Amino acid sequence: MPTKRRYSDLLPALIFLLPGLILFILFFLGPMLYSLRISFFAWKIVHPDQSVFVGFDNYQRALSDPIFQRAIFNTLAYTVITVFVKMALGLGVALLLNQNFHGRTFFRVAYYLPVITSWVIVSLLFEYMFNGQAGLVNYILRDILRLIPKDIIWFADPILTLIPIILLDIWKGIGWAAIIFLAGLQAIPTELYEAARVDGANSSAQLRYITWPLLGPTIVFLVVVLVIGGLNAYVPFQLITHGGDPMDLTHSILTLMYEATFGRIDFGYGAAISYLLTVFVFFVSLIELRLMKQQAA
Amino acid sequence: MKTNRFIWMLVSLLIVSATVLAACAPAATPTAAPALATEAPAVATEAPTAAPTAVSAPVTLQYWHTHSDPETAQLDQVIAAFEAANPGIKVETTRYAYNDYKTALLTAISSGSVPDVARLDIAWVSEFADQGALVQLDGKLPDFDNIIKDTFPGPLSTNKWKDHYYGLPLDTNTQVLLWNKADFDAAGITTPPATMEEFAADACKLTDATKKQYGYAEGGTYFWAPAPVFYAMGGKVTDDKITTATGYVNGPESVAAFTMLKDLYTKGCLSPNLLGGGIATDAGHAQGTYGMIIDGPWMVDIYKSNYPDFQVNFAPIPTGPQGTTSSVVGGEDVVVLEGSKNQEAAMKWAAYLLSPDAQKMMASVGQMPTLASLAGDSAMPPYFAVFQEQLKTAQARVPHPKWGDMDNAINNAYQRMLKGEQTPQEALDQAATEIDALLK
Repeated sequence: MPTKRRYSDLLPALIFLLPGLILFILFFLGPMLYSLRISFFAWKIVHPDQSVFVGFDNYQRALSDPIFQRAIFNTLAYTVITVFVKMALGLGVALLLNQNFHGRTFFRVAYYLPVITSWVIVSLLFEYMFNGQAGLVNYILRDILRLIPKDIIWFADPILTLIPIILLDIWKGIGWAAIIFLAGLQAIPTELYEAARVDGANSSAQLRYITWPLLGPTIVFLVVVLVIGGLNAYVPFQLITHGGDPMDLTHSILTLMYEATFGRIDFGYGAAISYLLTVFVFFVSLIELRLMKQQAA
Repeated sequence: MKTNRFIWMLVSLLIVSATVLAACAPAATPTAAPALATEAPAVATEAPTAAPTAVSAPVTLQYWHTHSDPETAQLDQVIAAFEAANPGIKVETTRYAYNDYKTALLTAISSGSVPDVARLDIAWVSEFADQGALVQLDGKLPDFDNIIKDTFPGPLSTNKWKDHYYGLPLDTNTQVLLWNKADFDAAGITTPPATMEEFAADACKLTDATKKQYGYAEGGTYFWAPAPVFYAMGGKVTDDKITTATGYVNGPESVAAFTMLKDLYTKGCLSPNLLGGGIATDAGHAQGTYGMIIDGPWMVDIYKSNYPDFQVNFAPIPTGPQGTTSSVVGGEDVVVLEGSKNQEAAMKWAAYLLSPDAQKMMASVGQMPTLASLAGDSAMPPYFAVFQEQLKTAQARVPHPKWGDMDNAINNAYQRMLKGEQTPQEALDQAATEIDALLK
């Protein structure tokens, strides 16, 4: 009777899972499948029954659209730079905060404070700081440091616009990476360091042979989560570039998706963009996990 | 054991049903309970004399809008008057922030629970009509021809899509020249420019690079910003039938307009803020950084609250080479939504908003009426005069569902020429090709 027993064991578990499962299906899986359907149509929102099936047209349109290609470039550049810098600086901060010194709690709070401030407020703040005519950054570069002969109009240039966006994300994200690293550091048993000291290992050798390898799982976790977050960047792009200014060259994938869907009522195209992003994120995460596993082995 | 399991199952079933019910409740009634329901209890709705004409069953209309605080308060008065005159019809309003409005409407339309009547940006009407979301009004709204006879042609044209009207022009506005008197005095100029030649010359006279002061500034490169200069110089985006842009957006008049702006920019007389991330035009103008800007009637109230000491000076848009002025039409239309279950009452409410009484009430809070007969009416704020005069020649942007993309094409062309990547002719040639593709 082993099978019957397993079945009767499963039933209560299933019932406990049901509330979450129903919510998941109703608000996540359902809409996801529905938007997959939309992505194959020239979708008419008022009369969905009159929507024209266009096959992979929306996907082809997206892939051959220079604005979409540019959005991919922006999103990738943003992700690669911010993830790398946030992790490097976050690790440095975590190592410092892991020491015993006076005022440690203050610094832990100080580094975490940007993480919990509102995206909207700091985005606007960075927009003011990088204002082309009256901004703090131009004032420092030009009037104090005398590095530039005339004001830089940051938001007029599609590459320069990415600088405040990337700086903002790094400034806001270091604290979070540091906290995760700190948790990872504190999980490393102190006996290992004591033993290493007895064996005569200096602190850089301890970092290289104890801290770094034992932080492996933390690093995997951070890379996966930060890359997914980076590829899904929306708020700072939307607020600082106002949806792709100038000339639709500063879109992230998600701001372009939003503009296509709700700005131009092109639901099929917007759905196709989100699916391209979903597939991309899925494969990137798979590759990341694979690589990390190999490294750990 | 058995009873234990039974109790657990019962408990989990309860949890399941509770969660499901909780999840279903908001989904089932997404548009219920409007945030700003305004019923006018003060008005007696039981006027017995109107009983024979009243609709048999009482009807409650949902009206969505994006009015400001003072406008919303005034709208309540308009509703009270309407409900008094039309017993059996009630109007409930829901107010949205402009930036959330399109999304809210699209969500409502796609879920099938639409408001009966809505106030829409004039640039959206053809887009929503093309989606089949709006009720055609000509031939359906009683008295339609009489109502539109008195409206300004520019605002009216924004309701037309494929030979039919899908809305009524609710309020209108346009842009005129704002000139900073202190800057003009300092530069020794006594009057605002009357022609585009004077305008260009004044813009450079008012410029002082050492003080980071510019003669003229635009809020951005989106079409709304250069549109008054563009139209006054004789520029056109497409032909009147909206079939082609070639020969229009890249025609000699259009190119001349953008060439003048590009030259002003190169000489440093047009502020670089229009490329993004500079001092805003409203603040810069009040502080004397920008001698001239071009903007709308709402600036009066903005300056009243932000710069109470600043004296706003309006002037018509300077005339182009043909000796005529022009500008761009802005404003809102009122539409009845397909899917409304009370279309008859909805049309009554829409028509009432176009009545001289309702238009006058809204005018007192800065909403410019669309009725030609109210121009110069003593109930209008005095600063309306220059805008009403400008409206006689102002032109509507292309009423087409793809207008957003056309705007983008011109916007990008303007960016390319300002950055020196293309000459105005080359940039507009490219824009013409892009717009032609949209018109196919």
